[in-house]
This record gives sequence, C-alpha cells and structure tokens, in this order.
Amino acid sequence: MKVSYNWLKDFVDLKDVSAEEVAEKLTVSGFEVEDMIYQNKYLHDVYVGNIKKIERHPNADKLVVCQVDLGGKNVQIITSATNVFEGANVPVSLDGADLANGVKIKPSAMRGVVSDGMFCSGEELGIDENYFEGAGINGILILPQDFVVGQKIEDALMLNDVVFDINVTPNRPDCNSIVGIAREVCAIYGKNFVEADISYKTVGGNVGDYVAVKVETENCPRYMAAYIKNIKLERSPLWMRSRLQAVGIKPINNMVDITNYILVEQGQPMHAFDYNYLDGHQIVVRQASKNEKIEVLNGNSYNLDESVMVIADKNKPVVIAGVIGGTNSCINNDTKETVFECAVFDLKSVRLTAKKFGLRTDSSARYEKGVNVNSPKFSLKRALHFVSALGCGEIVDSVVDVVAKGVKLEHSDQLTLSYSKVCKILGIEVPKEKVLQILNGLGIEASISGDVLKCVPPFVREDIKNENDIAEEVIRIYGYDVYNDVEGIAFENSATTIGQYHPRLVMENNFKNVLVDAGFYETLNYSLYSSSACDKLLIPEGDERRKVIKIANPISEDLSTVRTVMAHALLLDISYNLSVGNKDLRFFEVGKVYLPKALPLNELPVENNRIAFAVCEAGYDFFKLKGVVENILVLTSAKYSIVRSEEPFLHSGVSADIITEDGRKIGCFGKLHKLVTKNYDISQEVYYAELDCDYLAGLGERKYETKEVSKYQAVERDIAIVVDEKVTNEQLIGAIKSACGKTFYDVQLFDVYRSELLGKDKKSLAYKIVFMSDEKTLISEEINALVNKVLKSLEFRFGAKLR
Amino acid sequence: MKEELNQILNEGTEEISSASDLKGLDEIRVKYLGKTGKLTQILRGMKDVLAEERREIGSLANKVREKIESFLTEKLCKLENEKLFADMEKEKVDITEPSTGTKRGALHPLTRFNNKFIDICVEMGFSVIQTPEIETDYYNFEALNVPKNHPARDMQDSLYITDSILMRTHTSPAQVRAMETLKPPFKIVCPGRVYRNDNDSSHSPIFNQFEALVIDENIGLKDFMIMVKEMAVRLYGKDVKMRVRPSYFPFTEPSIEIDATCQICGGKGCNLCKGTGFSEFFGGGIVNPAILEMSGIDSTKYSGFAFGPGIDRSVMITNKIPNIKYLFRNDMKFLKQMR
Repeated sequence: MKVSYNWLKDFVDLKDVSAEEVAEKLTVSGFEVEDMIYQNKYLHDVYVGNIKKIERHPNADKLVVCQVDLGGKNVQIITSATNVFEGANVPVSLDGADLANGVKIKPSAMRGVVSDGMFCSGEELGIDENYFEGAGINGILILPQDFVVGQKIEDALMLNDVVFDINVTPNRPDCNSIVGIAREVCAIYGKNFVEADISYKTVGGNVGDYVAVKVETENCPRYMAAYIKNIKLERSPLWMRSRLQAVGIKPINNMVDITNYILVEQGQPMHAFDYNYLDGHQIVVRQASKNEKIEVLNGNSYNLDESVMVIADKNKPVVIAGVIGGTNSCINNDTKETVFECAVFDLKSVRLTAKKFGLRTDSSARYEKGVNVNSPKFSLKRALHFVSALGCGEIVDSVVDVVAKGVKLEHSDQLTLSYSKVCKILGIEVPKEKVLQILNGLGIEASISGDVLKCVPPFVREDIKNENDIAEEVIRIYGYDVYNDVEGIAFENSATTIGQYHPRLVMENNFKNVLVDAGFYETLNYSLYSSSACDKLLIPEGDERRKVIKIANPISEDLSTVRTVMAHALLLDISYNLSVGNKDLRFFEVGKVYLPKALPLNELPVENNRIAFAVCEAGYDFFKLKGVVENILVLTSAKYSIVRSEEPFLHSGVSADIITEDGRKIGCFGKLHKLVTKNYDISQEVYYAELDCDYLAGLGERKYETKEVSKYQAVERDIAIVVDEKVTNEQLIGAIKSACGKTFYDVQLFDVYRSELLGKDKKSLAYKIVFMSDEKTLISEEINALVNKVLKSLEFRFGAKLR
Repeated sequence: MKEELNQILNEGTEEISSASDLKGLDEIRVKYLGKTGKLTQILRGMKDVLAEERREIGSLANKVREKIESFLTEKLCKLENEKLFADMEKEKVDITEPSTGTKRGALHPLTRFNNKFIDICVEMGFSVIQTPEIETDYYNFEALNVPKNHPARDMQDSLYITDSILMRTHTSPAQVRAMETLKPPFKIVCPGRVYRNDNDSSHSPIFNQFEALVIDENIGLKDFMIMVKEMAVRLYGKDVKMRVRPSYFPFTEPSIEIDATCQICGGKGCNLCKGTGFSEFFGGGIVNPAILEMSGIDSTKYSGFAFGPGIDRSVMITNKIPNIKYLFRNDMKFLKQMR
C-alpha cells in the first residue's frame, strides 16, 4: 500500500513531524514501511525561470542564448530547443541538478559561450502529459504564466511528496487507505483526526427516476449509486493529480480521478459509468452466464461464466464486478451523464475472479482484502463532495443504497473486558490512563471502572473482539521497547517443565554420525518426485510402493508424486554430481516415505522414516557397504539375519535383505541392478542401502550385558579349506562354532581364493579360529584334536578338503 | 698376576669406551669375557696361583670382571639408545603428505542447525515432538483460525491431495495436535518440513520450520520476550541484538516478528538484510484464546505463546549460503564445504 505523506497531512497535523519519523513510528507500531520514495529525488536545483531575452548563438546556427530570470537572479542558458520564446516560464536546472533521465548538470561553455544550466522537458522531470499539460511534448516544458518565477520546480509542480510503501497485515483491511493510516498516525502521536469534508450541493430531482439498481447475487452485500448530469470533463486540479501520481495512479480526467482518489483515500473502490451506454438505464449485479463475453479497459476480452460476478445493464455485462470496467460503458470524451458506483463485493468472489483472469487491479486488491460494509456511504458522499467542489457536474438528489438481507450496518458491539487480563497477557502493567489514551486515540471508545474495561471499536475494526486484541492495540502503540528493560526471568509464575529429546531423532542422529564417520555426506531431497520413479527403479505393478499419493495441483511433473522409495532421489543426486564432474560420491539421506492405507486417500497415510545411503566410487564393494550397515545396526538392539534380496532395483546376486526374527523386512543393501543405473544415466557401479528408522528406533536403546573375561590364554589356529561355491561362509562358521563347543572364542574368514586349479565351482576359504577355555590353559594336543574335529565336521557336512 | 689384571682392566675399560657400535662391543666382550677371553683365561689359571695369593688375586679378578661387565652394560645401553635415535632419524616423514584412511563426510547444514536449535530448546524445557507432514485441512487451517476464504487456503498457495488433505503449509498443526493430546503445563517444539505451491529462484516448494508452543497458567508476552532473547543469545552469542515489530498471524494475538542482528554483516548492514543490520529471527505471539478453546484447553485458566523460526533462512545466514536452492541441490562441491 502506497501512502502519501502530504495526503496524510489532510487528516493529521504533521507540521512538527518528519516523514522519516512517521515511517519509523509506523513500522514499530505494526505498519512496516518497506520503502520510502522521495518524489523530488531528481528535482533538486531545478527552478521556474522566465525567459527575458533570446539571442542567436554567435558560433552555432542551431543554438540560442537565453537570458533567464530566476526571481532576482539572472542566468544564461544555451538551448537547441525550438519551442522556447521570450516571456515563457520554463523549468531551469542548475549546477548540481541530477535529472530523472540520468543527466547531471554543471555549468559549461557551449561553442565559446557559457551556459549556467539547462531547460528541462517533462521527461527530464519524470512526468508525462497525463500529469501536466505540455510535459509529453518533444521539447521544453512550457509552464503556465501564473507560476511564481524562482520557485523550486518540485513545489511549483507539486512533486514534493514522500511516499511510504507500507506492508498492511491482513487483519487490518481498514488500513489499505490514507484515512486508515492517518488514524494510526493520530493514535501514535496522540493527535486529533481531522474529519474529511463530505458536504455537497444537489440540484433536485431523484436518482430513482434515472437509474434502477437490482442485486441478484449474494456476493454483493451493499450497492450504492449516484447520478450526475451535465458533466464537464477536464483535467482534475494539479493537487489531485499530484496525489494520484504520488501513489502510482495515472491521472485521466476529473471524474475518473475522483473515483481513484476515493479508492486511495478511503480504501473504497468506485466506478463511473457513462449513463447513456447503460441499456435500459439499469444496473444489475449478478453472476455472469456461460456464453457472455466482455471487453475491458485493458483492451482484452474475457469469456465469462457463472463463477464471475458482473455489473450488467439490461442486456449485457458492463463491468467485471470489483475488478475492471468494460470499454463499452466507461467515461469517455462524450460523456454527459454518469452513474457513480460505490459498492461492497464479497472478497473471495473478487479474488477468485481476479486470479481466474490474471487481472490484479487497484480495485480488486482492495476488495480481496475486504471492504467494510459501512464504507460506501461515507465514501460516496466524499466523492460527491469533490464533484460539487470542483464543479464537475450536477448531482441529482438522493442516492441508491441496496443492502443485502441480514447485513448489519453501523454496528459495533460493546465489549466488556478485564483490564488486569490485558496486563496479564502483556506480562507488564500498563497504567490505566495510558491504556485509555491509546485506545481512544485508535477510535476505540474505552472506559475503565475498577477492573472492567469497556470498549466500543469503530465499525471498521471488526478484528477487535477480546482482551488479546486489546492487548495488541495497547502494546504496539505503547511500544515493544518496554521489554528491552524488563527485569526478571521467564516463566516466573508458571511450572517447570523437563525437556525431552525425540527418541527417533536421537537414533537417527546416531546413525547419521556412523555414516559421516564412514565418509558419507548428508543430502536433502524433495519428498515429492516424478511419477516415473517406480518405473525407473523397476518396481513391478502390484508392489505396495506403486500405491503412490498424487498431488492434485502439482507445481510440475517432477514434483507430482509423494515418494514411496528413497532410492530415486539419491540416484538423481549421484547422476547430477557425476554430470558436473564430481567423483567418489558417498551420500545419505534421512527422510520419509508416505505409504497410503488406501487410495484415493481417505485417512492420513503412514509416514515412515528411512535412512538411505548410496556410494558411487571406484573400488567400493558389497562388503564395505555391509560393514557400514552393520555399524549402524550394532547401535540398535535389532536381532536380524541377512538373506538374499528380492528388491527389484538391486543386483540379485550382490544384495541382501535384513530380516528380523519375526520375519519383518527392515532394510536392504547391495549393488544396484545394472538396468537401474542405466536408467539414471550412471555408467559406474552404485551401492545402495536403506533401513527403517521407525522400526529401529522403536526397539529402544540397546542394552549391553557383559560376563567375566577368561583368565586363560587364547590360542589361534589358521585353517584353509576348499569347498563348493554354493557353501556359504555363514554355514561354515556355524559348523566351526558347533564343532569347537565350549572352547570356541572367535572365528574370522581372512582369505578367499578362487582358481581353476581348485576344481570347477570350488573356492578356498581361510579361517583364523580362536580357542579359549574358561577353565584352563589349552595344551597343544587338545588344540590339535579340536582342529581335527573341526576339519572332520566340515568335511562331513560340506565336503570340505584341507588345502 | 696383579699387574696383568690391572692391565686387563685398563685396556678393557679403554676399549669399551672407544667401541663405536654394538658389533664391536660384542667382540670386546668375547675378547675379555668369552670362553677364550683374557679374563676368563686368568680366572681359569687361578688353580696355578699360590694358595696364599689366591684369595687376594681371586677377589681382584672378580672385581675386574664386575667392572668390565658393568662398563659393558653401560656402553651397551648407550649404544642401543644411540641406535634407536639413529633409527628414528631414518623414519622421519614428510608431515605435509596427506592423511590416509576414510575421511569423515559431513552433516547437512540444516541438520547441524536443527540439532543446535533442538539442544537449546530441550535445555530450556521443551520436548521435541513430530506430527504428520500430510495433514487434514482441519489441523492445517481451521483449528488455527485460518478462515475458509483466506488466500492461504486456495489451491494456488498449497499443495492439495484431496479436498480435505494437503501437504502441510507450516508446522503449526503441531500446536493443535499438542494441545489436543497433552495436558498443560507443557512446552513443545516440532521441527519439520513444510510445503507450498511456490518454486522460483528465491522460493523452494519444500522448506523447513520449527514450531514451538508453551501452554501454562500465567504465561504472558514478557515470558516470551525474555525466553526469545535467551534463545538468540544461545544461538548467536551474547552480542546479539533484537528488534520487535508487531505482525499478524491468525493463531496468535498479539503477534510479533522478531529480528536479530544480521549474522552476515554483524549488524553493519548488507544486501541480505537490506542495510538494516537485522534479519528475521522468527514470528510468534500469544496464542489466540479461540485456538485454545477449539483444541479443548480452558482459555480462562491457561494461556501460552507460540513461535516458529523459518529454519532455511537462519541456516543460510549462519553458513553464509548464497542461495536457498543450494540446500536441496546436493552438489558435492557445496556439501564438502561443511566438513
């Protein structure tokens, strides 16, 4: 919302307050001034000059030398402009001027004759023909004869305003207006609000004889109209144009400018119709029908439908209600009679229509935020005041006022509140007289008797209902600075609470640390992805992960599906990193997959937290990955076994599933299926693992139990055996353990050797077996006997031969 | 005999002290104490010594042997140590060569910030909770006093799944879920992802928030302000300054925005803080009593405050991350900088 400092001065005395101070105070009281625009930024050192004499330049045909009076001071200006004449008033920029088009002025000699400055065009002053007559021509701006010679141009052209760009919060629609902000400024400074003049003269007659208004939609709580005849269309006065220009609205003509002036000043959008173009002299507020069309002021045509509210005449839509007027009925040069519309439209209806057509206008912006139902009455009077005061036309007696059923006008409830509760909310005591001063300053009629605080907010303050609302009004004017000096501790009069970490997040952090130690980098990926993820990962039809939640209004296909697998995003990360030349990639992500119970979604899905990691690095292998998985699982109390994986996206021979004792799958790891890596344009091997954090965290912290350490020495023996390929390490270790019985302490596979020389489908495995007894030192013979027992057992069960 | 022994002692001592390596020393040992060594021979020849001299000579011979042995041991020790030092000298490495073994990776800057903030909250008596990312419009909007016609409820601003289920647009539903399930007094904080229908150079469709809520008797704005100040100090250090601006949220009243000293320029003013020296810390306020009532908490007895920082921006400021998009790009060259 752009607010003019000069305009504010109509409603509040700011003689002793600078624009900068107003901006600062507004910001700290809840109306953040995001920017300040100085209208005169490019106008310093420019004055009104009167050309006394024009002579030919002695050395140049196309230049003339002008003697210019600046009100008691004479300067010499050389110009090539051809529209200047002796006696003309013109803008003269002098040494130091810094014009809107980037030109900086300093005195200089032109072909041997000194020029003290330059005459300016409208463009150089940053104005156009709409703002000032003659400003649009390609030449020097010729100023009216009644301008005071020597005056600063910013004062002469009324371009001396300061404009605040204010961020008005949605709870204060009343402040999307000059008067709304002015009331705030009054409250801040404890000044009186100067009421606007709403007096006007009428010429008799009755509006009802000229125009009939019907409201046929529930989206229009109030519609007011006035009729004006014998219009004299012309430029509005400079002060009005100046105000509009300051807030970014283009001046057009007096009638249109008045409606825009009311829009900005009162926050009430208005529209002016050319009466003669209203068929049947009727105004019908209704929803459009399917086949209707309208051409509007921006030159575009729109196809309408039932969702769009329009203002129509007897036959056709003439305005998209609250958004933009049609070309067929707007004010034009031939307009002799006009109807002023001053109405309230439903904010949601206007917003949806504005969005539907991509049309955001000053009018729709106000309606979207909410225009108070009491606003039209005062605003229409204010508009008619200007019509009357500026002599733009003759106003016919009375106005149309159609109010929808059930709408309460000029209604505010008296609130009976507690003063001490207001103070309790604030946690500090604001003196009663201060509270009253602030509230009354804001237009809230307030009184305190004992603890009872009675308040009657103005109609427009629909946001004020309880002590919290009053507390906010009080403290934002009283100033939050008060808390800077408050002594004491927080929660002085409240209970102590004991903080608690979230068990899953704690466990996840432990897992993350394992991965970071193992050289992994944490990534973050969107939990939305393309619907092609399951295809790329070869997940078959019928798999639970194919049951995906779809976004109804996705931003793009890439973000259209809620993820059910973690692998997709990590593989895209790897693919992206390889494409930008990064190597040796170890990534992990902790995130959710979203598993619906049924589709379409009729209850919230399960959100399952996973930890997933992927490696793309030369020399990495399955067993390194397995080590990382084990280092994570060892932090949990999970009891699990490892079986060959059936994951469709993993390499069937080099992958494993992690299964709990009760048969639940809690993770998988292994090399990626070669077709999958290909699908992601990855030309190297990728290793991937995924674990269910919710399950693992749900097991609770691992409990560690220890037993006495044997005091007898452990003895190591190495054996190397040859077995069939199909025999697994796990089987052999099981057999070794059981053969050793009580003397078993540890066994490690330390070498695997494959060679044709061993025989077809054979491999050699070397184990280090550690024996230890709790009862005695084992002697050589006992150990030899145990080794023999192990070898016999391996031979018997797996056909193992000593190598 | 005596002279011979004294000569052996003198010669032996001299030879030992001039030995320069272990091998030489061992040869000296053999020369004097070996089976055919000089001293051994003398000792062996004791049987030929006269009985009355034997005692005296014997004692002298033993003394000489003890002395030589002691000199030998001393010298051996010295030479062994010299060798250790010499060996160590040979082992000298170029300490600027790179380390070996697995290099640590790194946590994402967001995780680091989250963990730090969670620590601060827990220290201050907050319990960490988690609530769904896929939410009903009741929890996301209605129970938070966001009216039906609020622009936030348009499809344009939120990612919907069905008419009544959407990707949560803020972590504030956690407030409602906490109020419905916990009995006051409580303090909770809920970190998590949120989603908006917004994707351009300065907006990410997914970003991160914290939601914090305190409900108890006698909670006022003063408690909030003192606590927030303490949080800022713990997060950014004791020199942090704060600035409060009134604001608006449908679920708090009064509502405020709190800015903290810009961590990029340290308050001097920079591009990021638009020259103000402050950057947004978080927004919050006193819980609107209508919200308490809707969630079944007696607003005449209890009050509270709620607040939430936008994490991504704080992470960017803390780590001087130039663009929000880096947070989800996962470029190794970026992530490596967090090591």
